[in-house]
Amino acid sequence: MSVHDPHAWDRQIPPPRRDPGVRRFAPTWRWLAEGLWWVENAFNRARADARPEEDTRVRIFLILSVFSLVFVGLALGAANAALLKPKVGGALAASPDAVVRGDIVDRNGALLATNITHYGMYIDPAQVWDREAAIVQIKRALPRASTAKLRRVLFGERRLIVLPGLTPQEKAAVHDLALGGVTFEPEDRRVYPLNGSARHVLGMADTGGQGVTGAELAFNNQIREAGLAGEAFPLSIDLRIQGVVENELARAAVEQQAKGAVAIVSDVQTGEILAMASWPAEDGLNRATSAHYEMGSVFKTFTVAAGLDTGRADMNTLFDASKAFMIGNRRISDFHATNKVLTLEEVYLHSSNIGTSRLAVEMGPNTMREYFTRFGLLDAAPIELHESARPRRPTKWDDSTLASLSFGYGIMITPLQMTAAMNALTNGGLYRPLTLRKGGLPGVEPRRVVSEQTSMTLLDLMRRNVVRGSGGRAEAPGLRMGGKTGSANKLVNGRYDPSHAVGTFAGVFPADGPVGTRRYTVLVLVDEPGAYPKTGGFTSAPAVGRIADRIAPFLNVQRRDDPYRTALGDKVPQFEDVEGDGR
Amino acid sequence: MSAAALQTQTMLKRLFAWKVRGVRWIEIIGVLLVAAMVFSVYLAKAAAAREGAQIASYERQIAENGQRVRLLRAEVARLEQPGRLEDLSRAAGLGPVDVHRQATEQNLPNLAPVPEPAPVAAPVVPAAPVPTEPAAPEDAPR
Repeated sequence: MSVHDPHAWDRQIPPPRRDPGVRRFAPTWRWLAEGLWWVENAFNRARADARPEEDTRVRIFLILSVFSLVFVGLALGAANAALLKPKVGGALAASPDAVVRGDIVDRNGALLATNITHYGMYIDPAQVWDREAAIVQIKRALPRASTAKLRRVLFGERRLIVLPGLTPQEKAAVHDLALGGVTFEPEDRRVYPLNGSARHVLGMADTGGQGVTGAELAFNNQIREAGLAGEAFPLSIDLRIQGVVENELARAAVEQQAKGAVAIVSDVQTGEILAMASWPAEDGLNRATSAHYEMGSVFKTFTVAAGLDTGRADMNTLFDASKAFMIGNRRISDFHATNKVLTLEEVYLHSSNIGTSRLAVEMGPNTMREYFTRFGLLDAAPIELHESARPRRPTKWDDSTLASLSFGYGIMITPLQMTAAMNALTNGGLYRPLTLRKGGLPGVEPRRVVSEQTSMTLLDLMRRNVVRGSGGRAEAPGLRMGGKTGSANKLVNGRYDPSHAVGTFAGVFPADGPVGTRRYTVLVLVDEPGAYPKTGGFTSAPAVGRIADRIAPFLNVQRRDDPYRTALGDKVPQFEDVEGDGR
Repeated sequence: MSAAALQTQTMLKRLFAWKVRGVRWIEIIGVLLVAAMVFSVYLAKAAAAREGAQIASYERQIAENGQRVRLLRAEVARLEQPGRLEDLSRAAGLGPVDVHRQATEQNLPNLAPVPEPAPVAAPVVPAAPVPTEPAAPEDAPR
């Protein structure tokens, strides 16, 4: 070894010793510090041991293993993320058809309300070359754009909205002008493609996607949930029936020169509303849910039902209608005076006020109130619609009031209440809430109102009322229509004015068959008919007959004979002989 | 045990000693493998990006078509609404069918009795000579 050995200085370094700092660590950390020190001094140690290649290998190996560990960890993590983990986005991702509000469809899937992307038209005046020409062109392509607004935006300074809610066609028309600075921004809009049809049932939703009235409000949450799932929300409405009902109602109302009119078709077994129309359709008021009417003689059905159900009377119980019935100073007489003693059946068929008043007074206030409550006549009709109004109820229940109630005065109810009560009476005596939900309300326990026997008796009585009584114009060939007319005068300046009348017909078909038969009630009410006669048998019964005649095929009601009429609507001769006997 | 380890060690040493122009083959192979891997990852990523763009384009098309379907459905609903159809039908002189002109399936045999089978058999007889007629001109040229 020469004096100039370049490594000589190395050798003089003392062998690695523990750094004094190492001792300061706690015993748990000491091994790490020692390890680091060992690695740090590997070079020196190796040189000291004259094995310089070994320490380099150790270092390379160490770094290699650390890097390998890290990369193996990364690779395993990546493989795990790519192959084994469930897709996080899959469950959260919305349906591709998702909209703010779902479509509303009828029970057969026909579209009633939908969301369509409309466009707001914005103009940035800085990018418009010839502003006057732009105004002319836009006005030509989009006549409903206001010239003043266009001018204000075009000669303004900032980009502003000119018109919201452009339909895709309108957008295309403006877009085709290829004007600079005109842009469109999509906005979701609620569209009712049927125009006015079923508008009272559907109601409205605001631009924020919240229901405001009608079914849009009643089923707001369900419709929004359906929208998120990309599904449609079905109502119990049948658009075909709704169309028939609207047209026939409009026809009746126009013919009668009426102020308003209402028609409701419902399924008595499920409480589903199949059609509901309020005329005039342009009127915001839904008369079916929110208007109150004294409905007159239709109430005799409930009075007679109460009499039969309590056992107070049967079909042959006699009521003296030979002279007016006096309650204090009040004199109750008949519209079609018979001036004789009538059976309960005749009381109903001749629509005798005297007879039902006598029956109601005999039954007393408690029984009458009990049955009116059971029929839901004293409370708002149970239905999802928030518009369903409370009735105007009598304040006291004396004999005079009972007499009035027995033939439909002194209480103002909504047409929906009448439908619900008629349903209960004709389905075997079970009161079910009305519903706009397809398939009826789930899990609702119906309430017993009258016995099955009473229900069947009343059905037959209503059928006979159409065959022989005041409801003859409601007859629909072969459909076994039953029903009761109602005619009432309205209170004008504190007096019942015969020139302001309400004509009602509450019908049910088919009125024959066992308790569980599928039946449908049809209610038509004409408010203030202008033409005479103004009684329900003339104003409303024909419309009920026409509606039943046209909707029967949709409801699969077959035309059949019954003891009174043939399937083609001809009289059954044997029965006429019975009638000829003077019954 | 130690013999096997020794053998492995020698093999490794030989592997690392295998060089060309001073460069270890193992390193060349490693670099080539890494290059191949980088290239394949690049290809895979590029293909995925292309497919992603295509999927996005399809999704946009689906959304646009969905919008169009909604629009057309609304238009169909408007055109098919019962009130409008009834007005058109009445304008065309149509109306509800009278009950006397309605019939069920059971009534069909009474309304239109099944015709006698004899006239059905009749056309079969003249059908036979028809193919013989074109046969005659074919014979003629021969």
